[in-house]
Amino acid sequence: MNHHALVSALAIAPLLGYLLVIAALPLVFARFWDDNRNKLVVALAAAVPVAIYLVASSPDGADRLIETAREYAAFMALLGALFVITAGVYLRGDLPGTPAVNTAMLAVGTVLASAIGTTGASALLIRPMLRANAHRGYRRHIVVFFIFLVSNGGGLLTPLGDPPLFLGFLRGVPFTWTLHLAAPWAMVSTALLVIFALVDRAISRRDPPPPPRTREPLRIEGAWNLVWLIGIVATVVAVGSYGRGWPAAPLVQIGAMVGFAALSIATTPRRIHDANRFSWAPILEVAAVFLGIFVTMVPALAFLHDRGASLGITQPWQLFWLSGALSSVLDNAPTYLTFASLATGVVNAGGGQLSVHDLGALAAHPTGRELLAAVSCGSVFMGAMTYIGNGPNFMVKAIAEQHHVRMPSFFGYTLWSLGILAPVLAAVAVVVFW
Amino acid sequence: MTEVLVCLEGSASTERAAGVAIELARTLPATLVGLAIVDEPDIVAGSPTSIGGASFRKDRNAALLEDAHQLARGWLDGFVARGRAAGVAVRALEITGSAAEMILAEVPRHDLTVLGRDVNFRFETQDRDRHTRDRILRRAGKPVIVVPGQLAAPGPAVMIAYDGSPAAIRALHSFAASGLARRGDVHVASVDDDGANAFETATRGCELLAQRGIRAVPENVVSSEPTAAALLSRSARIGAGMIVLGGYIPSALARLVWGSVTHEIVERAVVPVFLHY
Repeated sequence: MNHHALVSALAIAPLLGYLLVIAALPLVFARFWDDNRNKLVVALAAAVPVAIYLVASSPDGADRLIETAREYAAFMALLGALFVITAGVYLRGDLPGTPAVNTAMLAVGTVLASAIGTTGASALLIRPMLRANAHRGYRRHIVVFFIFLVSNGGGLLTPLGDPPLFLGFLRGVPFTWTLHLAAPWAMVSTALLVIFALVDRAISRRDPPPPPRTREPLRIEGAWNLVWLIGIVATVVAVGSYGRGWPAAPLVQIGAMVGFAALSIATTPRRIHDANRFSWAPILEVAAVFLGIFVTMVPALAFLHDRGASLGITQPWQLFWLSGALSSVLDNAPTYLTFASLATGVVNAGGGQLSVHDLGALAAHPTGRELLAAVSCGSVFMGAMTYIGNGPNFMVKAIAEQHHVRMPSFFGYTLWSLGILAPVLAAVAVVVFW
Repeated sequence: MTEVLVCLEGSASTERAAGVAIELARTLPATLVGLAIVDEPDIVAGSPTSIGGASFRKDRNAALLEDAHQLARGWLDGFVARGRAAGVAVRALEITGSAAEMILAEVPRHDLTVLGRDVNFRFETQDRDRHTRDRILRRAGKPVIVVPGQLAAPGPAVMIAYDGSPAAIRALHSFAASGLARRGDVHVASVDDDGANAFETATRGCELLAQRGIRAVPENVVSSEPTAAALLSRSARIGAGMIVLGGYIPSALARLVWGSVTHEIVERAVVPVFLHY
């Protein structure tokens, strides 16, 4: 690809500008932002000029756009399929909201997040968690730790876990590569679970005893969806392992995702969707917003690929903190790709010949592997630093508030994460990335 | 007939305030107007939102608004039933909008406003909301009675804290006009390091009341305690069931720098505080 036509210091401006706009609009023009059509208009306003620029300024600009469209379709097909299928599963019944049970539920959610995605695990478990603790006086800490563990950190182990990792997978990172991140995943998860258990134990002592009532045994409704979920995992693994380079692979993958989602819709009783308050609005919102991100990302990634090394960000610990810091205030998916491209540039400056479109080569490179691990951990873990770092964060907050949990404000939540999550991550960064 | 506005929400102090208002309505007599606010601007206020979160925010907003309307209706129904059971004329008013603005718009239409000390009009989103209460007390322009959650055994006497300032004079006249002096003995208390000065100031206050046909007893307060604590001690000694003050609650920053006797008394009193600024 001819990068010279694309690369300039201004190349990163559309992505940064777009991300700032989508961060500011819900704050300043909340009603405007509530309408998904308006989001699509904003996304197109950002994407169309960039697309025109790409086509006009580079001979292979049109090819880049087609490749981006394919990547976008695969990304949305997976997110959409996971969204639909997990909305078809409902955990009915009651658990006692004791510190031991809460800690166990968080642990299960942390593991589940890597299997069905942080959004799916959050949607599946947040309501049972809130029901179990309905009698408790102070509950916001439970939701805060839920966001740390289930909505973010838990998703580190597979590309299905968190959107940034799936973007990496779409760009060639092997499906099982993320399992190499098991050590930081285990360290962070264990530390947070231990802290939670201690905090919850201390807080639960001040709570009134739960009212005596007959508990409904825990059971899963919509278990058929687990079969469709296995189908999705099998498809992703098969395409990732054997379909690389096969031209029809993306179409097969997208077709399979749509097929499994359709099977889920067809086999899920309406009462389960009602119980989960299922609607298409959230996934349409994600589709609209990510349309802008995918297009505006193209010149930014090219720039970082070419100039990454000259920015002075060459060490894993730097990439961990920088990708994390940006993931805290912007969405972590584009942040991951941005810094993965920068890592590619760093490796190339040392004599490598890596392409920004093949992160699999980066994952296989001795230096690149460490850099990509740092970017993956930073983007996934620090998506939990604020309500806007990762998609499920705000979903969990909103559902908790509907259950009368008074959640901390944006800055209040950030104080929680700075006080608890940041020190844990700092310790892990010293051990793993220093 | 006098109209008393009673601001309703779910706190213990509002529960007490409703009781105080019903008692006042029987004494004066007066018509009670129960006001419940659904603070929609607070519930639907914009906030930083993650991608995909706006749809959940819409659902959350709708659920909280529905809940707020239900609570408001419940409080109003309960208040109306309670007032009627006490034989008091009472009507209900539910308003949707910014709590402080809506209440400040209603206050001038009524003779007196009764407010719980620990009111939280942002009950759907916050654990406490001192901001709205203090804003109302700063800008009301008409008398407001602030009622604590825990009331001491109500005595019939009233203590007017009087320092001769224009605000104190306004509060004194406002109290005299309200008809509340009929409740029992009225004491006018002034604080000064010099007992004679304090007595003289208190006596001037009593003279103003006398012009309106109200007999009052001057109280000179000389104490090593801070002014607010000294007034609260005297109020307890008198057995006052109400304290009258001419002052307002300044901003948190101003309180930090200069302190505020009014704020101290409002926060620490165990009897209703009649405020007019």
